[in-house]
Amino acid sequence: MEYFTEAFVIAVKSILTFDHELYFVVFTSLKISFASVIIASIFCVPLGLLISSREFKGKIFLQSILNTLMALPTVVVGLLLYGILGRNGPLGGFGLLYTPTAMIIGQFILISPVVLNLVVVAASSADPRIKLASMALGADRYQRGIIFVGEIRFALMAAIVMAFGRAIGEVGIAMMVGGNIEGYTRTMTTAIALETSKGDFEFAMALGILLLLIAFTVNLFLQRLQQFSK
Amino acid sequence: MNSAYDLIDVKYGYDGLEALNIDQCQIHANKTTAILGPNGAGKSTLLNILAFVFRVSSGEVKFFNKRCEHESHSALRRRVAYVQQNPYLFNDTVIKNVELGLKLRGVNKKDRHQSTMIMLERLGLGDLAPRRAHELSGGETQKVAIARAMVLETEVILLDEPFTYLDKRFAKDLEQLILDNRRTGNQTVIFSTHDQSRAQVLADDIFSMLAGRYVPSSIVNLYSGRLLPDKNIFETAELKISVPENLTAGEHIAIESTQIVLSKEQLLSSMRNSFRGKIRSLHEDNGQIQVTIEAGEIFQIIITKAALDEMNINVGEMVWLSFKSSAISVF
Repeated sequence: MEYFTEAFVIAVKSILTFDHELYFVVFTSLKISFASVIIASIFCVPLGLLISSREFKGKIFLQSILNTLMALPTVVVGLLLYGILGRNGPLGGFGLLYTPTAMIIGQFILISPVVLNLVVVAASSADPRIKLASMALGADRYQRGIIFVGEIRFALMAAIVMAFGRAIGEVGIAMMVGGNIEGYTRTMTTAIALETSKGDFEFAMALGILLLLIAFTVNLFLQRLQQFSK
Repeated sequence: MNSAYDLIDVKYGYDGLEALNIDQCQIHANKTTAILGPNGAGKSTLLNILAFVFRVSSGEVKFFNKRCEHESHSALRRRVAYVQQNPYLFNDTVIKNVELGLKLRGVNKKDRHQSTMIMLERLGLGDLAPRRAHELSGGETQKVAIARAMVLETEVILLDEPFTYLDKRFAKDLEQLILDNRRTGNQTVIFSTHDQSRAQVLADDIFSMLAGRYVPSSIVNLYSGRLLPDKNIFETAELKISVPENLTAGEHIAIESTQIVLSKEQLLSSMRNSFRGKIRSLHEDNGQIQVTIEAGEIFQIIITKAALDEMNINVGEMVWLSFKSSAISVF
């Protein structure tokens, strides 16, 4: 117990003294996750709105695939991407393995189904009167789209925040295609795994506390958004 | 007389079901028209067509004497204001909701704010302006939706069951607004209701509907059953009613409530239909007396106050009601 308490005190100290190495890892994590979330949002929010607004054959099948992909194991994405980006893989020539770009691609693959699915659900479960009310007010097709997105804005933001939570906490992809290179691709989760196994329990714990803090903030934000969307 | 709408052979259906089938309907410009009918009669469907929210499946709609099928429905929609039944307010403040229609029409910020505040004050809703729309009660929501439509000052305003969620005071205010509008005659007002007396008091014209069709009569004293053409009889579950000759088909009949004669003794007259029944209720409505009688079927009869005093009848008494077969519409 003493070992644990001592480690905790040292961890808190290094957080409060803004330990450079510690915060650099946090910064790398945030940078990669933000990038993947932004790219996923740009692609998946419009696509999700389009899917929900159209009726087509196989829509229900597509939604069940998306539901399944929401629980995609991170190591499986890591493994596939390793195979594709690795030296002997089809895209090996680009030299992307063990770079932040590879990690962003991996996280993009991981969270796209999350964003897509939640956007489809948010748009499909929106009040059907929104469309009629905006039509009745004289909105043209483009204005109706803007009004609709405005009405479900909190649910859309919640989808994005949830995806961020999944990206920042994942370890499989970061480890397999990032390689945990210090000062380059080392993220909070990979560092926790590595430092613990190396015996630097204090450093890992400091990162653990910060990761929990981020997760807590994200969840708090999510709760507020869900309150607003009611 | 100018017409705001002309509907000719209009049909509307979805999922293979026919929701509306109107042979002909003319709605006069700058007049107040009530669309009267029970729930499920197709009133909302008709209003959605008049608001250019629904496109007709077949038939012709003329708007101010111009055919609409090749016109942009988006542009037409901007010439009407429409308050839907159970209206939706956007997740924003009341003031933003009310000014949205003006914003969509490109009115500048200052002008739309001014018009919005004037309209909210006029309807006694000034205090609600900064409130969030989703926090309002059902009645307040309805009032704000009415303000949102009225602020647009369009040629036509459509109100779908506007009195449903309103408290008595605001219902009176809205009735007054409709009556004022009728007096000035600047706007074509069309509202739907299931309340016949309200329709009679507020509207210049009444368009009665049942099961998606125009009904050439009022919708009280309406009975379903089957026509026996060889006997000139219409048989309801309870009564056999003599109908005009030479009819071939019909599943409903309606009898004008003013065409039924009430008496204490059976009348010796040429009237083919005469039934005895018990007075269920007496109800004064806008200076007239509405008498409800159970004579197998429930009948509603309208008589004057003087006639009531003369006959000296009370609830629970047995009376006779008589009407000519020509007072009956079969459809």
